[in-house]
Amino acid sequence: MRASDLHVSLPIVARETTALEAARAIAADDLVGLVIADSAGVPSAVVSAVDVLGLLVPSYVLDDMALAGVLDEEAAEEVWAKAGQSTIGELIDDDRVHIYELLRVDADDTILEVAARMANARAQIALIKGSSGPDAQFVTLTALMDAILTFCAPSDTSHNDA
Amino acid sequence: MSIQVILALAVFVGAYVLIATEKVPRVTVALVGAGLMVIIGATDKRGIFFSQESGIDWNVIFLLLGMMIIVGILQQSGLFEFLAIWAAKRAKGRPFVIMVMLVLITAVLSAFLDNVTTVLLIAPVTLLICDRLTISPIPFLIAEVMSSNIGGTATLIGDPPNIIIASRGGLSFNDFIVNVAPIVVILLVVFVGLCWLMFRKQLGFDPARVARVMALNEREAIRDVPLLVKSLSVLALVIAGFILHSLVNLEPAIVALLGAGLLVLITRLEPRKIFADVEWQTLLFFAGLFIMVGGLVSLGVIEAVGQAAIQAVGTNYLGATAGLLFGSAVFSGIVDNIPYVATLAPLVNDLVQAGGQPAQPLWWALTLGADLGGNATAVGASANVVVLGIAMRNGHPISFWTFTKYGLVVTAVTVTLCLPYLWLRYFA
Repeated sequence: MRASDLHVSLPIVARETTALEAARAIAADDLVGLVIADSAGVPSAVVSAVDVLGLLVPSYVLDDMALAGVLDEEAAEEVWAKAGQSTIGELIDDDRVHIYELLRVDADDTILEVAARMANARAQIALIKGSSGPDAQFVTLTALMDAILTFCAPSDTSHNDA
Repeated sequence: MSIQVILALAVFVGAYVLIATEKVPRVTVALVGAGLMVIIGATDKRGIFFSQESGIDWNVIFLLLGMMIIVGILQQSGLFEFLAIWAAKRAKGRPFVIMVMLVLITAVLSAFLDNVTTVLLIAPVTLLICDRLTISPIPFLIAEVMSSNIGGTATLIGDPPNIIIASRGGLSFNDFIVNVAPIVVILLVVFVGLCWLMFRKQLGFDPARVARVMALNEREAIRDVPLLVKSLSVLALVIAGFILHSLVNLEPAIVALLGAGLLVLITRLEPRKIFADVEWQTLLFFAGLFIMVGGLVSLGVIEAVGQAAIQAVGTNYLGATAGLLFGSAVFSGIVDNIPYVATLAPLVNDLVQAGGQPAQPLWWALTLGADLGGNATAVGASANVVVLGIAMRNGHPISFWTFTKYGLVVTAVTVTLCLPYLWLRYFA
């Protein structure tokens, strides 16, 4: 099995994408991260889903977690309504957020090569070289895990049974 | 002038320029400068580690370390957030009353905690309150950081330059309370008036928004009541130790370290949490500065400048006090006041040694000028830079000139008021 056998299409976001749109994309496809395109539309970076979650929370609450509890439900609803206006660009500009450079793998890389490179780069998403633009193809962490599991024997309980 | 002295002065001036321009991290500059002082033979291991005159001032380093540990634990309790929200609710959402209460809370906290920690704690809750009131947090943040710089002037532990001045001048916690705290109280009252003049037009009040503030539950901010009780108790003991310094016969650094040790023992927090807020870079920056200044002391440069200053001053200590007050304010508005005070403290010490009691006000002129001068510009104090960063991150950028136009007014008024105070107390 090769990298190209694991390919999936992913939504690609831009600097202007709002936090709300990004959250919808993550929730709709159970994504662990989002691919960010540069100004020319070329996929170039990855932001993790949890950092997008941080974009929905006011910065002052992230700066001081004690403040999360002082707001009641009604106030929290206002916070969510307001938070959706933030953009991915703000995440990119935030020094506290780590934006990963998009890892690139060859289409004919073996699963082991892809796994090693993604683990080494702590990447949740890798771009398959040769694909680009709206048709870009990716390897995701979940697809890679599924592939690895097909090579492993079903969980062996013989040790316990012995 | 020997080649060694010329090289040492070149290293010192070069380091100052690099610290002022912030092109290189200040800790890097201080440590490289210290290394160069050793290489050119301006100081040695005995001078660095064991000399009271030219070495690292361990009293300063360990007092800072002890207080950083205590404050790092205390800030996890949620006390500051509780106080700020409680104040906003007592003010019934009226913006100027909230501003006054936050200014006073910040000033009092700053007298016992370092200014950066204070603004890091007060700024997020201010943003929350302003968000609830739908008003701009910018006037509040500017007022708070300035009151932090004013309040921190009041005590030995309120601002790092005070710790250096206390150690070099042999001044106690009570000396600061008796000599500096009274004028700081006056300055705070005046500052509240200035806030009214400067910010009142930006503090629109919408009664419909009051309910949004009153709905905040400040009790939820207190995350760990036992931790709060323990850390406040230890802080009270430490302050009592500072005040009773002459009775307990313990240096402030020892009191702070004993307090930190006691707090670590009774809270049983993980070391990772205990030491997370210790600013190791700041401690190393201090060490590097002490070595650089110590190099100049060892080579006799400070003594020569001190002698020239003694001759220039003669017995005109009022003139020297005024010069030092305003000169320090101007200098501290432009560069970090820590290296400035580290350099000036040995010089002032020479003047005070030579002049005796009549020259003692020079220490207070240096303290007031260096601490209050930090308000002059956006880069005059570390706390200013931190608040500008928080404001920017939260979508309320404060430009250098926005801050500075208010800062210059506040600095001019507060520093000018110090002169009649010093004159009345020590020269009239």
